[in-house]
Amino acid sequence: MPNKSSLKNLLSRQDTWRGRNRSLRKNIITTGNNSLDRLLLGGWPVSALTELVSQQDGIGELSILLPTLKHYADEGKLCVWLDPPYQPYAPALVNAEIPLDKLLVVRSKDSREWLWAAEQSIRGNALLFAWTNRAQPSYSALRKLQLAATESLVPAFLFSPPAAIKAHSPALLRIELESMKPNILSITLHKLRGKVPGAKIQISLGDVITERTFLDRLPVNINYPQGKKSDYPLPLKHKVQQLNT
Amino acid sequence: MKKHTIKNIEQKKEIWLYIDFPLLALDAALADIENIKAESAIAVASVQKNVRRIVCCNSYAQKWGVDPDLSLSTALAICPDLHVLSRSPGQENLLLHRLALIAYQFSPAVIINDSGIWLELSGCDQLFHGYSKLLQRLHRQILLLSVTATTGIAMSALAAHLLCGQQFQYYLPNEDEMHRNLMTTELFKLPGNQKQQNNFKQLGLENIGDLLALPRSALSQRFSAELLETLSLLNGEKPCTLKRFTPPIEFSDEIQIPYGLHNKDSLLFSMKTLLQRFCVYLIARQCHCRKFVWHFEPLFGERQSMFITLSASNNNWSSLLTLSRLQLERLELPQSIEKISLFSDQFIDMPELSFDLFGDQIALNNQASTLMDNLYARLGIEALSQPSMSEEHLPEKAGGMSPPNRVTNTNYPTSKAPQPLWLLTNPVRIQQRNHQLHWKQPLTIVSGPERLCGNSWQTEQQRDYYLACDSKGARYWLFRESMNKQWFVHGLFS
Repeated sequence: MPNKSSLKNLLSRQDTWRGRNRSLRKNIITTGNNSLDRLLLGGWPVSALTELVSQQDGIGELSILLPTLKHYADEGKLCVWLDPPYQPYAPALVNAEIPLDKLLVVRSKDSREWLWAAEQSIRGNALLFAWTNRAQPSYSALRKLQLAATESLVPAFLFSPPAAIKAHSPALLRIELESMKPNILSITLHKLRGKVPGAKIQISLGDVITERTFLDRLPVNINYPQGKKSDYPLPLKHKVQQLNT
Repeated sequence: MKKHTIKNIEQKKEIWLYIDFPLLALDAALADIENIKAESAIAVASVQKNVRRIVCCNSYAQKWGVDPDLSLSTALAICPDLHVLSRSPGQENLLLHRLALIAYQFSPAVIINDSGIWLELSGCDQLFHGYSKLLQRLHRQILLLSVTATTGIAMSALAAHLLCGQQFQYYLPNEDEMHRNLMTTELFKLPGNQKQQNNFKQLGLENIGDLLALPRSALSQRFSAELLETLSLLNGEKPCTLKRFTPPIEFSDEIQIPYGLHNKDSLLFSMKTLLQRFCVYLIARQCHCRKFVWHFEPLFGERQSMFITLSASNNNWSSLLTLSRLQLERLELPQSIEKISLFSDQFIDMPELSFDLFGDQIALNNQASTLMDNLYARLGIEALSQPSMSEEHLPEKAGGMSPPNRVTNTNYPTSKAPQPLWLLTNPVRIQQRNHQLHWKQPLTIVSGPERLCGNSWQTEQQRDYYLACDSKGARYWLFRESMNKQWFVHGLFS
């Protein structure tokens, strides 16, 4: 006869199909953006590993997670940032109403420590943002994190370099982020259970042009250099949907 | 009204439990020794009047005819395989205090005697749902220390001592039964000198009932005032004034390992034992621990210390052991460890737990602090940090990183202009080619400026911050220094 607690653990797993519930993805959290929610069939999957492959730093890869970060931080959960590529800037986080005491930056010395810290954070029900700066983790390492995530109550996010897109990944959700225009993030779906990959959307990260700009008085070019990329456009704020933050 | 008064008087009646440890010397000597077979005949000996005599022995030795007070040479002649241990009063005292700490979990009034302890139990039954359950749990905890215990229960401390039997009883006798037991107790058990005992015999007194039946005035003429005082204590007419036990304000305990331990895994068993004792102490003191330190002493060389700091209070031995194990992995220890000790003097009062409807919040907080402690123990404090703010204008000073759990103020005025989520710790100077800014690739200014000034009385620094982007849409935070007109990149709008 199975142990009562082990049965309870099994039923609490998000990938256990029960009776009439046809949807396996019953546990999701909204991204804060309607079009992104539609792309992801409702939002970020909770109790799962999500991989974000960013073509470059600074294109808004973290901004799309700020509503999720704020949600879990407000709930009192710890948010672990494992090996972030740069130092998080506290005033910007405070402006985004994120409590600083709920953020914990962890620096690992090697890939073994990285994997241990990531797994511990997931098993400790912390919201994990992990960057793979050192070397792309192996499939088995990511599989370990994905399995740990199925038993946790929060999502786990993995930021991978562009080269990672060619490798297989056990993550439940895999998206690619790129930006050809400032403030506009292009998101391509590569893997999501229940949806054909390849879908693509564009979202705006907000208007950043201030009225007190006197760019023409600057001693530098304010337009993109001719010959490199002609008539480089500035962001068009009315053509794309705003991030609902 | 009258009934109510009688009830109040009844409630004030004391119930004393005396726990005797007849083999305390043997149990204390065996506490730190693991390689003796349980079935072998073991005895503890000490020097009494220049002769080594048996103090106490186990049942296997008794089967051979070894008894307390027997000289050691005689005992060895009777039982050649007798395993003899030296008596250690220090160890006995430590064990007795450890047992008192356990007893303190069951009653606030604990008194330590030479080889036993008293507990005043009246009113303690409510917490444990009855005296029987209290006694069972108490015995179970004592047995965890592998200590033999017998008990006596009465209405006064002295009577409980006199009524101490041969076994640990789980049943609380009623008042009449206790009185009857006391009255039938033989007088030779009563403390006093031989002359007094002879007087009892001459008067034909056999038990305490006979003595108490006599008028006090008659007794005062025949016996000393001490006997009358003893009888007052026995009846409960006079309160017990012996010093009550209180747990020490700091915890310190150690385990000696005579043969030495050579690897870290084998240390964990002793560490677990010490942590279990530590948690008994924490529960008895109703407090939580914030920091404790391990000392590992080798036979040769200097001792190694390992400090464990907890982000939140804790008194669970298994989580403390996990933290200790994780930190132990990073510690380089000498070849062989002969002694492990645990010390702590940093405690906080046990918080009053307030559960929400589903009891979720407390579990959450515990998880967060446990995770933080585990990460700290395995990766070290230098691996953990939290973003913090200070009242400065220059970004590298306004936003920094500080050790975790350091409460920082965030109520500083912040700029309304866009600010990056990533900050470069040191601003990176960027090139300017034919009026074109270059950092990895050409950059173009999108918005700005926002003027920020440093501490003008120290070093005058004026910076104009701009938002720039590259051809791939990455956005950067640039500034231009007013003094030397140099351009720097300082952050990324992730």
